[in-house]
Amino acid sequence: MGTKYVGKPIPRIDIDKVAGDAEYPYDFTLPGMVYAKLVAAPYAHAKILKIKYDEALKVPGVLAVFTGADFPFKVGIYAADRDVLAREKVLYYGHPVAAVVAETLEAAEKAAELIEVEYEPLPPVLDALEALKPDAPLVHEKLHEYKHAPFIYPKPGTNIATHLKLRKGNIEEGFSKADVVVENTYYEPLISQGYLENWVGVARVKSDGTVEIWSSHQSPFAVRNLLATSLGLPIHKVVVHHMYIGGGFGGKAGLLLEHIPVLFSMKLGGRPVRLELNREENYFYMAQRAGYYFKMKTGATKDGKLIAHWGEYILDAGAYADYTVNVARSVGLKPFGPYEIEHVHTDAYAVYTNKIPTTAFRGFGLMELYFASERQMDLLAKKLGMDPVEFRLKNVLIPGKSITHTQERLREDAGDPAGAIKEAAKLIEWGKPPEQPKEPWKFRGKGIAAFWKGPVQPSNAASSAIVKLNDDGSVDVLVGTGEMGQGTITSLAQIVAEELGIPVEKIRISPERRTDMVPYTWQTVGSRGLFSEGQALIRALEDLKSQIKKVAAQVFRVFEDQIEIRDGKACVVGEPWECISLAEMALGYMYPNGNTIGGPLIGRGSHVPVRTSIPDPETGKSVPAPFYTFGAGAVEVEVDLITGRVKVLKAVMVLDTPAINPLLVAGQVYGGTVMGINIGLLEELKFDKNGRLMNPNFTDYKLARAADIPEEMIFKCLGVGQKDAPYGAKGVGELTMLPWPAAIANAIANAIGVELYELPMKPDKIIEEVKKQRPELLEKVREALKVKG
Amino acid sequence: MAASKSVLVFHTLLPEFEYFRPKTLQEALELLDKYKGDARILAGGTDLLVDMRMRIKQPKYVIDIKGIDELHTLKYEEGKGLTIGATVTLDELLNNKIVKEKYYVLWDAIRQLADTHLRMKATLVGNICNASPAADSAPALLVLKAKVNIASVNGTRTVEIKDFFKWVKKTILEPNEMVTSIFIPEPPEGAKGRYLKFVRSAEDLALVGIAALVANPKDPAKRIVRIALSSVAPTPVIVEEVEELFKQDKPLSELAEEAVKLVMSKVSPITDVRATKELREHMVEFGTRYLLKTLLEG
Amino acid sequence: MAEKLIPITLKVNGKEYKVEVKPNETLLFVLRNKLNIKSVKGTCYRGECGVCTVLLNGKPVKSCLVLAAEADGAEIITLEGLAPFGTLAPIQKAFIEHGAFQCGFCTPGFILTAHWLLTNKPDATEEEIKEVLSGLICRCTGYKQIIEAIKAAAKYYKQDKQKQ
Repeated sequence: MGTKYVGKPIPRIDIDKVAGDAEYPYDFTLPGMVYAKLVAAPYAHAKILKIKYDEALKVPGVLAVFTGADFPFKVGIYAADRDVLAREKVLYYGHPVAAVVAETLEAAEKAAELIEVEYEPLPPVLDALEALKPDAPLVHEKLHEYKHAPFIYPKPGTNIATHLKLRKGNIEEGFSKADVVVENTYYEPLISQGYLENWVGVARVKSDGTVEIWSSHQSPFAVRNLLATSLGLPIHKVVVHHMYIGGGFGGKAGLLLEHIPVLFSMKLGGRPVRLELNREENYFYMAQRAGYYFKMKTGATKDGKLIAHWGEYILDAGAYADYTVNVARSVGLKPFGPYEIEHVHTDAYAVYTNKIPTTAFRGFGLMELYFASERQMDLLAKKLGMDPVEFRLKNVLIPGKSITHTQERLREDAGDPAGAIKEAAKLIEWGKPPEQPKEPWKFRGKGIAAFWKGPVQPSNAASSAIVKLNDDGSVDVLVGTGEMGQGTITSLAQIVAEELGIPVEKIRISPERRTDMVPYTWQTVGSRGLFSEGQALIRALEDLKSQIKKVAAQVFRVFEDQIEIRDGKACVVGEPWECISLAEMALGYMYPNGNTIGGPLIGRGSHVPVRTSIPDPETGKSVPAPFYTFGAGAVEVEVDLITGRVKVLKAVMVLDTPAINPLLVAGQVYGGTVMGINIGLLEELKFDKNGRLMNPNFTDYKLARAADIPEEMIFKCLGVGQKDAPYGAKGVGELTMLPWPAAIANAIANAIGVELYELPMKPDKIIEEVKKQRPELLEKVREALKVKG
Repeated sequence: MAASKSVLVFHTLLPEFEYFRPKTLQEALELLDKYKGDARILAGGTDLLVDMRMRIKQPKYVIDIKGIDELHTLKYEEGKGLTIGATVTLDELLNNKIVKEKYYVLWDAIRQLADTHLRMKATLVGNICNASPAADSAPALLVLKAKVNIASVNGTRTVEIKDFFKWVKKTILEPNEMVTSIFIPEPPEGAKGRYLKFVRSAEDLALVGIAALVANPKDPAKRIVRIALSSVAPTPVIVEEVEELFKQDKPLSELAEEAVKLVMSKVSPITDVRATKELREHMVEFGTRYLLKTLLEG
Repeated sequence: MAEKLIPITLKVNGKEYKVEVKPNETLLFVLRNKLNIKSVKGTCYRGECGVCTVLLNGKPVKSCLVLAAEADGAEIITLEGLAPFGTLAPIQKAFIEHGAFQCGFCTPGFILTAHWLLTNKPDATEEEIKEVLSGLICRCTGYKQIIEAIKAAAKYYKQDKQKQ
């Protein structure tokens, strides 16, 4: 690119994070703040008979105890199925039943211990398949009363929170043409986003009815909208303050627990209330990621063309499916990888169970889906006797030509799906068998997986931006997108620098957002930030530049199109010595005699997605997203049959998009790779037979450490841009995680001939499956370990 | 978390207690005697403070022994052995030449115990007193036949490490007793050892830990083979029969096969949140095979 | 139980503080809430993640598992203490140049740990760096750029060592 700032590895602008004075909600306090503490039920499903808290109220410093009865309404984003505190019954082990508010956390914790609850235990339903049976206990009996978004389809009288249908072609006809068919069920447990900052919210209510909240959230405007809607407040009376947050990964999308401190503050005459979760609480009180069953039947013709795909996708949504219903929509509308299939018939269900509530997680169901569908691809290739890369290339979507699963013809500048697969294969040296290690109990293999994703958002998900020129020619940029580590604000600053010809150091994008002071954006999710804010920002810069040109044209007595903006100056085209600096005109250009023209220059710009449409409820036919990023990941793994551990030696990722900032994209790729690999190999929320979460901590919910990362991580951006994207760049944040569990499973099959259908691929599972599928390998290892002499 | 209550409370803060920092052992022992079951010794604190926040332990009195100079001994006497005081940290042991050279199996275990940061505070004696079945240092101390020096106001006593553990998180210590040091005798001439730790990720508790110590493998008369394990029973265990077995004058290949069977028969792993019983059995078998091959042939 | 306050002295980033603490207050709690040193974060409160890492008498420890009372008389360095206000130490600059942070919540613990490692062992190998960092958790970066930043900063520590 002939650019000075865009496309360059410019360091992040949020450098207060390395100095130590970056501020997070965790650090935020208000004078006179009081502390809330939640207490929870030790049953997965039980009627609440009585809550006794008079002893708790006697603890010095305690201001109030609240129960569900104090808040007789529900909250939520897509499906309003959440109680503030459990009402009538508790829906999962760890469900908050009451809360204490006290002058100190110490008093609140002490009082919390003194609350007593009587329950009548009910039979819980702990598995999504069980929950679908007609005689299953109902998690939500009053589902028919719940409000929900129009594109969510709950089935009252069942545990189905939503049902998404996708129909393309004729499935019977499709399978009648199939020469080979592969049918499997895949299983993935609930997992946790694992961001480091536990949820914190500090709220206060002002005498004029204004509600203010500082909390760990990704999307300030979504929090504002949902708080206002849930609590019946006018939008402008809710002010949401966004600060840096310590990671989100989808787990802090939408409305979280903000309503709790807000409601408590309302009941306590406006006193600021802080609710800070510790790690255990964060596991129990914040929503985690759903579990999955994927039943899939996929057919191909003998010449290697995919012809039919049938699927039943069942998401274990836990007790509240508030956000997971939209994840079901994500896998429902993109039910297979980036391949063209003539006949597709899938049903996606989000199902209530008596487990921890669930929500979004980086990738929004697609890493989970591709574990299943990219395994199907390898198993089909095997049956066909075809090379897995060749099989993929034979079926891959072609921009401008292919019709997607939602019957959309891909735009011609949609990207380069085939190029990504080819490049990933090249970088992993596909076709060259891995060198086997000298230890006879270690086995190496290679695997590949392709992916695609666009943001899953309403068709009207808008963004906007404001650019203010300051007295010295520096610039303030106002956007609504959250900063959770992904680095969008640095990329946006690069765009401003490029467009105005000023260095990044002259641009400020405050880490703070308040919803009454920055322009609107729908949410910070779905890898949409750069694409959406970027477009809004470019329009704002165009607006600003036209104002600059207008002033300069008047000063130089030329037409506006004879003014160009370069190096922070407005100059006459062809006469670079005839310039006025942006500083001179920022607040109005003043002639020597004092006459002034122009005025403070402010640019504004908006973005709404183009072409996206509401899916047909019977077929899913739609343009669901304004862009797709395509890519592929490939790995070389080593399976150790003594330890049962799988080590990824080399991980390769190729994305088709250009990068605004290669340093930031690298960070996303490495982070997403390590996260995706770890999810593939280790991560699961484990429940006992009573539905109790057994590992609500980092001791037994294992996150990857520095010594766990692949020896080699390589990535490449192909630079194939979409015309309406800012500098062609599409989203990458979530994409970097999508291929890994599938690629690893495919590589394990390549290494030891063991086919896996479940995550995580932990040592227990590896050894169990080797015993079942390849017991002779263990005999070989025993033989190799025989002592000589 | 208060298990018997009708509500769950996940505490952020530690429970209340009274804190003492005695300057002498005598003072510490008197406090311990006075408060008996209500008091806990604080050395590194890396286990105790976690258990306290989780309300698994709620001592009314905490006795911090780090101010007691005499407990900070780390003394090696040629021909006799190594004495490790109760406040000697794992980091100090890791950086000690004698430990690495003479007691490699212990060094190998400490290297894999917790992480750099925790080893700055955590102590060897603390690791033993916490009595977790997964204690990494225990199998190493078992194959080294360490002795535990115990004191109370009534006097001192010494027990073999193998007799020290009673059950999950329980030792033979009386409420008024504390461990003052661990003594490790001079290892057998020519001994080599290793600790094999099975984990899920780079920082983990042992799914199974196996320590092996081997001396003079080729000479039946002088041959010593010892194997001890963690995370396979309610306490860390040494399979004492292995040492007996290897005294026999039979081919090593035969003895090794018998040893594997013996070890397998003496452990009783369970399924828990970290691993299944079946995986642990696999690890015991293949881990033992691997260690025997490495140490007997090497 | 009557809460007995314990007077302690802490020397934090070169400045001496006299403060009264409760026996059950951790060093993490006191640094944040009584001395207002907010770069020190907490999240797991059980010694797993290391976001609360401080240098205590020159050694990296997890301050959630240290009682404030235990630290009486200690010298403590937090991220704020690595360079004079408004300036950055070489290790901090390296983190910026190499993109070694994202959400930033774990960053103070990583930088302090790296500073300790390089001060004591400026020629640490990649293996040693990974081993030492494995006491900490970062969920964002995948560690690679952190390791690169530490390797790049090593030259400054080598120079310092030569000067000594």
